[in-house]
Amino acid sequence: MSVIDRLKRLSGETKPELKQSVRQDEIGELRQRIESIMARRPDPTIRTTYPNKFAGKPVELNDLIPGEELDNAFGRFYVAPGCSVGSSFHGARCIRDYASVDMEAAALIANEPALADFDLADGLFLDTETTGLMGGTGTLAFLVGLGWFEGDTFITRQIFARDFAEEQACLIFLQDIVKNKKFLITFNGKAFDVGLLSTRFVMNRLPNPLADLPHLDLLHPSRRLYGHRLMNHRLISLEEAIIGFSRQDDLPGSEIPQRYFDWLRRRDARLMADVFEHNRLDIISMAALSAHLTELMSHPADLNVCHHADLLCAARLYHDRGRIPDAQKRLLPLTASDDQHVKADSFKMLSLIHKRAGQWDEAVRIWELMIEHDFGDVFAKIELAKWYEHRLHDFQHAKYLVIKALDIVNNEEEQNSLMHRFKRLERYDKD
Amino acid sequence: MAKLTMEEWLVRAEDNRRFRENVRAVKQLPASDGSFFPFPPWVHPSIQKVLKKRGIDRLYSHQAEAVDLARNGRDLILVTPTASGKTLCYNLPVLQKILEEQETRALYIFPTKALAQDQMHEAHGLINDLAADIKTFTYDGDTPNDARQAIRKQGHIVVTNPDMLHAGILPHHTKWQKLFQNIRYVVIDELHVYRGVFGSHLTNVIRRLVRVCRFYGQTPTFICCSATVANPKEHAENILERPVTLIEKSGAPTAAKTFILYNPPVVNRELGIRQSALTPARIVASDLIANDIQTIVFTTSRLNVEIMTKYLKDQFKGGKPVDTNFVSGYRGGYLPNLRRQIEGGLRDGTVMGVVSTNALELGIDIGDLEACIMVGYPGSIASTWQQAGRAGRRLGKSLALLIARSNPMDQFIVENPDYFFSRSPEHCRVNPDNLLILLHHLKSAAFELPFEQGETFGKEDLVELLSYLEDKGVLHRVGERWHWAAESYPADEISLRTINPENVVVIDVTDAGARKVIAEVDWDSAFTSVHKDAIYMVESQQYHVESLDLEAKKAYVKKVDVDHYTDAMTYTNVRVIDVFSEKKARRIIVEHGEVQVVRKVVGYKKIKFYTAENLGYGDVTLPEKDMHTTSYWFTIPRNLLKEMPYTEAEIIDGLSGLAYCLYHLSAMILMADVRDIDKCIGDKSGEWFVRYGRGGRTLTNVSMDINDNSSAPPGTMTDAFDPTVFIFDAYPGGIGFSELLFEEHDRMLAAAKNLIRHCPCDHGCPSCVGPSLEVGPLAKETALFILDLITA
Repeated sequence: MSVIDRLKRLSGETKPELKQSVRQDEIGELRQRIESIMARRPDPTIRTTYPNKFAGKPVELNDLIPGEELDNAFGRFYVAPGCSVGSSFHGARCIRDYASVDMEAAALIANEPALADFDLADGLFLDTETTGLMGGTGTLAFLVGLGWFEGDTFITRQIFARDFAEEQACLIFLQDIVKNKKFLITFNGKAFDVGLLSTRFVMNRLPNPLADLPHLDLLHPSRRLYGHRLMNHRLISLEEAIIGFSRQDDLPGSEIPQRYFDWLRRRDARLMADVFEHNRLDIISMAALSAHLTELMSHPADLNVCHHADLLCAARLYHDRGRIPDAQKRLLPLTASDDQHVKADSFKMLSLIHKRAGQWDEAVRIWELMIEHDFGDVFAKIELAKWYEHRLHDFQHAKYLVIKALDIVNNEEEQNSLMHRFKRLERYDKD
Repeated sequence: MAKLTMEEWLVRAEDNRRFRENVRAVKQLPASDGSFFPFPPWVHPSIQKVLKKRGIDRLYSHQAEAVDLARNGRDLILVTPTASGKTLCYNLPVLQKILEEQETRALYIFPTKALAQDQMHEAHGLINDLAADIKTFTYDGDTPNDARQAIRKQGHIVVTNPDMLHAGILPHHTKWQKLFQNIRYVVIDELHVYRGVFGSHLTNVIRRLVRVCRFYGQTPTFICCSATVANPKEHAENILERPVTLIEKSGAPTAAKTFILYNPPVVNRELGIRQSALTPARIVASDLIANDIQTIVFTTSRLNVEIMTKYLKDQFKGGKPVDTNFVSGYRGGYLPNLRRQIEGGLRDGTVMGVVSTNALELGIDIGDLEACIMVGYPGSIASTWQQAGRAGRRLGKSLALLIARSNPMDQFIVENPDYFFSRSPEHCRVNPDNLLILLHHLKSAAFELPFEQGETFGKEDLVELLSYLEDKGVLHRVGERWHWAAESYPADEISLRTINPENVVVIDVTDAGARKVIAEVDWDSAFTSVHKDAIYMVESQQYHVESLDLEAKKAYVKKVDVDHYTDAMTYTNVRVIDVFSEKKARRIIVEHGEVQVVRKVVGYKKIKFYTAENLGYGDVTLPEKDMHTTSYWFTIPRNLLKEMPYTEAEIIDGLSGLAYCLYHLSAMILMADVRDIDKCIGDKSGEWFVRYGRGGRTLTNVSMDINDNSSAPPGTMTDAFDPTVFIFDAYPGGIGFSELLFEEHDRMLAAAKNLIRHCPCDHGCPSCVGPSLEVGPLAKETALFILDLITA
């Protein structure tokens, strides 16, 4: 018996009694054996349904996705070029507005000092569409979307491997473009796109041009600066909340791999059009997002335009990167915010900066101010109590503040810690 | 009271009548001198220095042979007893190579995480003393994420397990570029563990490993180690699929050892019940430990480890320091730190007694103990010697004591000491081309690197299999290459160790507000143990199964306190599809081939505790399970049945008893777990089969409604039925066991006859044909009659 037959029989796909012609018998045997095992245990990798939406005659690639076939020493592939002129809009602003980015700020959010010396035009925006979302050696980046600024125009190039065999030529083309650029800008590229492309270069025995390139991954700064007001950290959520752009009929990322597998079999451009559009928008949105993020970090920020809470996050980022004076400069105007949380937190951070610097007068002034204006915060009372206890040794006053704080606190842990402080103060007071 | 030495203890035991009565065999194994060789001249002076500092100033002959072969790039398999310095056989050539070429990398594969840790520490120790810049890391499921990148780039020696290699390393080989570009050695220790399903998977993982190495231009040398099995060279060649040099003569000296086989006395002759094996084990172990004789007790289950440890701890509460681990348990599930502590305690003598599962059977370094007690036959001759090897000091005597339980396998071993002492250990079998297994690994391999025309992978027609996967839409062919073209991560689809990776979770819903998971049951046993209305027991607490949700893979149970338990009634129907080969053995025809197995749980019996009284029946509606696999079977011709002075029902009982016995003996011969195989009595045509239902065993026609309790009309048997005993692989597609059973048929029948005939029970017991209450009062007699008839 042939293997297929045996297989089919093992899975029950064919009944062993069925007598077929000898020839068929030989071909089908292994298959039968496989199928007789497989049908009994559904194979999660095998998809049986096919989207009806694309019934009918397949459409040529060029008819739906304008572009050209290119070739190099490693073969042919397809490139779809695009360009957004400065006056065209993406979201609430036009492309021109995204073309100038404060590179100092970019270096800061990327935590990559080298970026400060580059121009935005040296940067290459990159986003891939892949055959799987889990990575690993069996995942192919079939579409590599690139973008860069030329003046105030945003240029895009989408490199498409129409088949597995075109991958190598695509990678060579990518290499050539990367050669002229000095840094990368991605969204989650550190964890995904760059690692995946690196794997592809190794698999094709090619040197990896991406390995040592400075990299601004927008995911982490977005999370830090906007995370407080987003449900999730997906690019689409950022587009809606920050860029003011909402997509029409966007193809969910999870459907993209299957679209490509269907494309491989059907060669129907309708399957890929949504994928190209999804990818193109991702790249342009990354450009917009870079501008928004860096703008938030620049000074002076316009309090009438920016979310105060975002600015507070920006100040915190400066603080965390050890740029204390820059943090202070941004916090001061925020203490006048009409957002009570921002106001309280700005005071809080400022006071702690003073405290750490040993500028007690300033710190105490802020705490007293906070108590006076009753920001409903125990923080100031506790800090002030500490100050009375440790610096002034005025236990009475410290105790009074602790009692005040205890009135407000309602979580057990804080209560315990306050009680602990209170008992200690009582002891000292008696001594 | 003066303490006895091991030698004195043995002399005293010989005089103890009650002990002596139950001893079935005593074998004195003499001590042997070692055979030594100087270090080969190429060994780096600093390695020699470090080894000399550890008291190693020359090599055992097998070590010398192994390191020379490894250095010359020969793939080798080393078979040596416990504690014969096998780790040096691979550490030495590997470290030498790294000292010569700094970039050299090596991959060590161990079957368990614990062993990997242990070996990592050992290699680490050597490297520390060498004061060289060599890094060893373990890479397994416990490796923290932030450490992984460093390991991939810097680890000279990466120690891992097959599961991690399969799911974590190979599918990400580009991240391991440094390793694969410089890999010179692959070490596979405990090769004998990789047999059956696990071994079939490993073979495929090695195929994938070799493929990935080839991509980076490397052909590493394989160094394998194994416990003694019958076919080490063949087994290694089956797994590596290349010629392998065998080294099996150990040059290490061995201590004198007394090996005793012990059968606990029969306490209920009527039911053939013997004293529990734990009882003599407890008595002997406490006596040995009280005499300051360091002792290891092996049990066959985790539960017994706990029971035995408690017994011994209780014993030594008075007078002995119990707060330290004077007596300790040891098993998987203990935290690594605790295990390290116990291992250390065994080496330095602060732990005098340890109770372990086979976790300590493999090469973990615990020094040499004086006595080893095995509570129950470990399942294979190889394992038994391996466990016995744990006792044996260079000087003086040591003891290995095997205590039998009441099952055919154990009973056969202790009642047939010659079989045990003279027979070579079991064969290791793998069937890497089992289509199910092969197909899974083909997918993983395609994920790792596209397949190219002309490549080979396994013995089946590769192009045909690849086209099959192409048709199924998981591969995509472009010209001469097949690419992985699916979203999933194929390595996640299979587990290398279990037959069916799916489990059913048992959830206690007694307190609706606090549901908790109390157990997991593997997919196949879920049908019989947690069907609706079953009584499920965990640590002697009874639970009533409220419902079994097969789709969600959950069983919901509630605590109850009832006087009965449930026993599922199942039927198994086997139909022959293809005969691979057949032979005539005396008066019967023996065959093996492909079969279709249909199994269904049809109901259950309620059985009262202690009296085993039948309290009633219930129905179960669960889907049939059916699979194709390979089987060994023999058929008793109808004309022979006519010679039997028994009723149809009695003959069926006799056949059931015979099948019970052969089934257990098969597991013994195959060195397989009893769950890896299964048995059935049926008709060769597949038309009739024996159902174990309300009225005991009855003959049923497949076309009958299975819930119809009427049985076949009398006379069916003699007219239409060719009773056939099937013993088949419990894995879809088969794992190669049935072919071996076919070859061993004569020996199996002889063994069964011997076992049943010499069993001291009256009418059958768990040690021979099964409990007489289950198999019927005449089963033993009839089974023997049938055996005599067919082997006449």
